[in-house]
Amino acid sequence: MADIALARAPETARQVRQARMLSVGARCALPVAVLLGIGFLAPMVAILAYSFATPRSFDVFRSFTLENFASIFDPTNTVWLSFAWSVGFALFTVAILAVIAYPIAYGLNAVFGRWAGFISVLFVFPLFVSENVRLYGWVLFFIKNGVLDGTLKWLGLPGGPEVLYTPGVTLFGMAYTYLPFMLFPMTLGLALVPRDLVDAARDLGAGRLFIWREIELPLAMPGILIGMLLTFVLAIGATAEAKILGGQSIIVISHDIEIAFTYSQNWPLGSALAVVVSVFIAALTLTALSKLDLDRMLGRR
Amino acid sequence: MLQTLPAASTAVEAPRLPILQLVGVRKMFGGFAAVEGIDLDVREGEFLTIVGPSGSGKTTLLRMLAGMDTPSEGNITLRGELINDVPPNKRPTCLVFQSLALFPHKSVGENIAFALKVKGADAATRKKRALELMRIVRLPDNYHDKNVMKCSGGERQRVALARAFAYDPEVLFFDEPLSALDYKLKKALEKELKDLHRETGKTFIYITHSLEEAMVMSDRIGVMRAGRLVQVGTPEEIYGAPVDRFVSEFVGEVNTLKMKRVGQQWQGVDVPGTFTLGSPQNGAVLDEAFVVIRPEYMRFLAAGERADNQLKGTVYNEYSLGSRIQYQVRVGSKDAGEKVMLVELSRARALPPGASREVTIGWDAADAFTLGS
Amino acid sequence: MATSPALARKRTNALIWVWTVFVLVAVYLPILCGALASFNKSRYFGFPIKVYATEWWQKTLDSIEIGMLVRNSIAIALLVTVISVVIATFGALAFARYDWKGRRLYQKLIILPIFFPQPVLGLALLLGFNAVGIQTSWLTAVFAHLVWIVPVVTLVIAIQVYGFDASLEEAAYDLGCTRTQVFREVTLPLLWPGIWSGMLFAFLLSWSNFPLSLYTAGADSTIPKWLYAKMVAGYTPMVPALGTMATLGAATLLLGGGLVMLLLRRRQPA
Repeated sequence: MADIALARAPETARQVRQARMLSVGARCALPVAVLLGIGFLAPMVAILAYSFATPRSFDVFRSFTLENFASIFDPTNTVWLSFAWSVGFALFTVAILAVIAYPIAYGLNAVFGRWAGFISVLFVFPLFVSENVRLYGWVLFFIKNGVLDGTLKWLGLPGGPEVLYTPGVTLFGMAYTYLPFMLFPMTLGLALVPRDLVDAARDLGAGRLFIWREIELPLAMPGILIGMLLTFVLAIGATAEAKILGGQSIIVISHDIEIAFTYSQNWPLGSALAVVVSVFIAALTLTALSKLDLDRMLGRR
Repeated sequence: MLQTLPAASTAVEAPRLPILQLVGVRKMFGGFAAVEGIDLDVREGEFLTIVGPSGSGKTTLLRMLAGMDTPSEGNITLRGELINDVPPNKRPTCLVFQSLALFPHKSVGENIAFALKVKGADAATRKKRALELMRIVRLPDNYHDKNVMKCSGGERQRVALARAFAYDPEVLFFDEPLSALDYKLKKALEKELKDLHRETGKTFIYITHSLEEAMVMSDRIGVMRAGRLVQVGTPEEIYGAPVDRFVSEFVGEVNTLKMKRVGQQWQGVDVPGTFTLGSPQNGAVLDEAFVVIRPEYMRFLAAGERADNQLKGTVYNEYSLGSRIQYQVRVGSKDAGEKVMLVELSRARALPPGASREVTIGWDAADAFTLGS
Repeated sequence: MATSPALARKRTNALIWVWTVFVLVAVYLPILCGALASFNKSRYFGFPIKVYATEWWQKTLDSIEIGMLVRNSIAIALLVTVISVVIATFGALAFARYDWKGRRLYQKLIILPIFFPQPVLGLALLLGFNAVGIQTSWLTAVFAHLVWIVPVVTLVIAIQVYGFDASLEEAAYDLGCTRTQVFREVTLPLLWPGIWSGMLFAFLLSWSNFPLSLYTAGADSTIPKWLYAKMVAGYTPMVPALGTMATLGAATLLLGGGLVMLLLRRRQPA
C-alpha cells in the first residue's frame, strides 16, 4: 500500500498542479471573455435577430421574415454592386500593399539595424491619428488650389490632375490607411525566418531569387497571410475613404449598412446586410486562423 | 585516447598540397579584432579541428572560410585562388551549422536534395541521389518523405551531413554540430564522422570547444585563444608538447608552479624549495618559468623512494574518476605559501585506506613542461 | 562578373532605404498638409498660402464647444486605458502563459473583434444598447471602445508574456511566495514593458477612434466625431487646427511613453 501511495504521489501532485493551471488560465480569461460576450457576441445576436424582423420596423423578436435577405439577393437591387466594389477594392488594396510593404518589412528585419525600432514607431504613429484627419489631409493635398495643384501652378505648370472624388483615389486612401496592418504582420513573418537557414541555402549554392522562393517566402507566409487577411477584412469594412476622398462617387457595403440604419431607418435591412458581411468575414478569419499557429507566430517557446 | 588510425593520419607522413591557405587573416568588428594574424595551411583530405573557448574567434574564422564573412585583412586561398570575396554560393565548400539549419518546411529528402535542386536536377535524379546519400549516413529509405522536424537529434545530424555531401564540396566545415546531443550519442556520431571522413576522403574542418572531441577525430588540431591561433599540431603534439600555459591547461587539469632562477638553481615562488626543471620547450633562456605537471605524472613517494622533485603535503580530498583516483594535496605552509596539487593514480596504486594522509609527492623533470610566462 | 555580390547587396539596401523613406514621406504628407492649412489666415484653403496666421489655433483653443470635446475624448480614453489594461493583463496571461482547456477558442474570440469592421461593430452595439434600452452617451462609447481595444491590448501584452520565462514564477513559488506575492514580485515587474505599451495603445487608439464613437457616443461628441461632422459640412480652418492639435497630443504622449519605457529599461540592473 505504502509503495503504491509513494509511486502515485508525484503523479497526483502534477495532476493537481495541472488542474490548478487550468482554473488559473480560465479565471484570467474570464473578464475578457465576459466583456466580449456582452460587447461582441450579444450585439451579433441582436443583429441576427433584427435581420429577421419586418422591414422598416423595430419589431425585433416579435416578427420573423426572410424578406430582408430576399431583398439583398434580389438581382434588381444594387446592393450587390456595393458588395462587389468593397471586395474588389479590398483585393486591390491587399495586392498593392503586399508590394509596398514587402521591401519595408524586409528592411526592418535585415537592413535598418538600429534604426528599425524608430522606423517602426514612425509607421505605427499614424494609427493614433484619426483616419478622418489623415484622409482629410489628402483632400487638402489633391483639391483644386490645394497643395499639389497650387505647387504645380506656382511652378508655372498646368496644375494637378483632378483625382479627388474618383474611385481611384478611394483605393489610394485605403492602401494608405491600412499600410500598418500589412506591414507589421509581414515584418513578424519575415522575422520568423531564421538567418541560419538563409545562410545555409546560400552555402549550398542557391542564388538570391532561389532562396527567396524556396526559403524566405514559404517560411514568412504565415505572417504575410495574416497581413493580407487583416487588410482584406478591414478594407471590406472601410467607409471613411469612400466618403471623404471618394466623395461618395461609389457606395461601399459598410456605407450601405450605415445608410440603412441612419438615413432610411430600415434597421432590419441594415442588420441583414451586416449579417452577410459578418458571416463572410468571420468565415474567412476563422478558416485562416485555424491554419495558423498563433503561439508560434507570436513567439511562444 | 591518443591513438589515431594509421590509415587516416596521412597528414603526418605524407604532407600534401595545401587545399586552403590562410595568410595574415584578420577580422575586425568595430575596433575589436575577433580574429588576428592567422596563418594556416590546410592539407587536402585532412581532418583539422580548431578548438578554443567560447569567444576565441573560432566561429568567426569558420564563417570567413565558408564565405559568410569577409576578412578585414589577409588572404584566404583555395587551391591557390584568392577567395576572400567569393560568396558562399560560389565556393566549393559547405558548412554544417551548429543549429544544423535544416529547412523546417521541407522533408528529409527535400532537405538533402536541396543543392541538386539549386543546380536544376530533375525530381527523379534528386530522389535517387538523396536515397544514396541517406544510405551513406545510415538513414532508412522510408525517411525520404518524413517531416524533418519530426526526426530525432541524431537523425537530424545525419540529414544535415547528407545535405552537405549532396553539394559535393571539396571542403566541409562543421560548427560544433554535436554540441546539443547527449554524451552517448555524441560519442557514437564522433566515430561515424571519423569513418565518413575516411570513406569520402574529403577535407574536414571542424570547430569545437571540447578538446576531447578534437582528440578523438582529428588529424591535426589548432588551438585558438583571443582571436589567435596559438598552436597547430597533431593531437600528440598538443597533448605532449603544449607551447604555453594556456594550451597545457586547455588540454586538461594540470599542476602549475611558478619558478624563478637563482644562480644555477630554480626556486619555487608559490611553494618553498629548489627544483630541477627540464629545458624549456623552445630552448629559450628564462629567468622566470612555469612548470606544468599533469596529475597522472605525479606520484606518492614511499620512504626512501626518490624523484627529481618532491614536496611534502597533506591529502585533504579524494575523488573517484572511475578507474582512476584523483587526490588533492595541500603542499607548502601557511607562512611560506600554500598550494593545492593534483595527483591522479590508477586504482591499483591508490593509497591504502589506513595509510597516513601526510605524504610526499614527486615527479621527474622529464615528465613536466617548462614554459615561459 | 559585372558587379560583386557585396556591391549588389549594397545597392539593394540603398533602394530599400529610398523606398522606405519615400513611403514614410507619403505617410506624413497629409498630416503636414493639415498643419499647413491650420496656419492659413483666410477662411478657405488655397496653396501657396498667402498670409500665415495663428488666429485659428487661438480660436480653437478659446472655443468652449471644443473644450468640451477634448474633455470628453480625454475622459473616454482614460477610462478605457485603466479598464482595458487591467482586464487585458489577465487576458494576456490566459492567452499566452497558461495552458487551459478553452485557450484555442479564447484566442479566436480575442482575434475576431480586431478583424471586424468597426462601423459595423459600432452599429451592432448601438442596436444592442437600443434593444436593452440603454441611452447612448460617452459611457456607452467607453464600453464600445473596450470591445475593440481590449483585444488589441491583450495581444500587445501577450507578446511580452510569450517572452517571459514561466519557470521564474515557479522558482518564486518554490521559495515560499504566495500566489499574490509571485504576481506582485515577479510577474508584474517582468511584464511592465508590455503593460506600459498596452496602456499607450489603449489611450491613443481610443483618442483617435472615430467609427465606434460615431454610433455609440449618442449626443456626446469626441474630437474625431466633431472633425468628421465639420469636414462633411461647414469647413473652417479650426478643423485642421484641431486635427493637428490632436496629432501633436498623441505624438507628445507617445514620446513621453517611449521615454518612460527607456527609463524602465535603464532601471533594470545591468
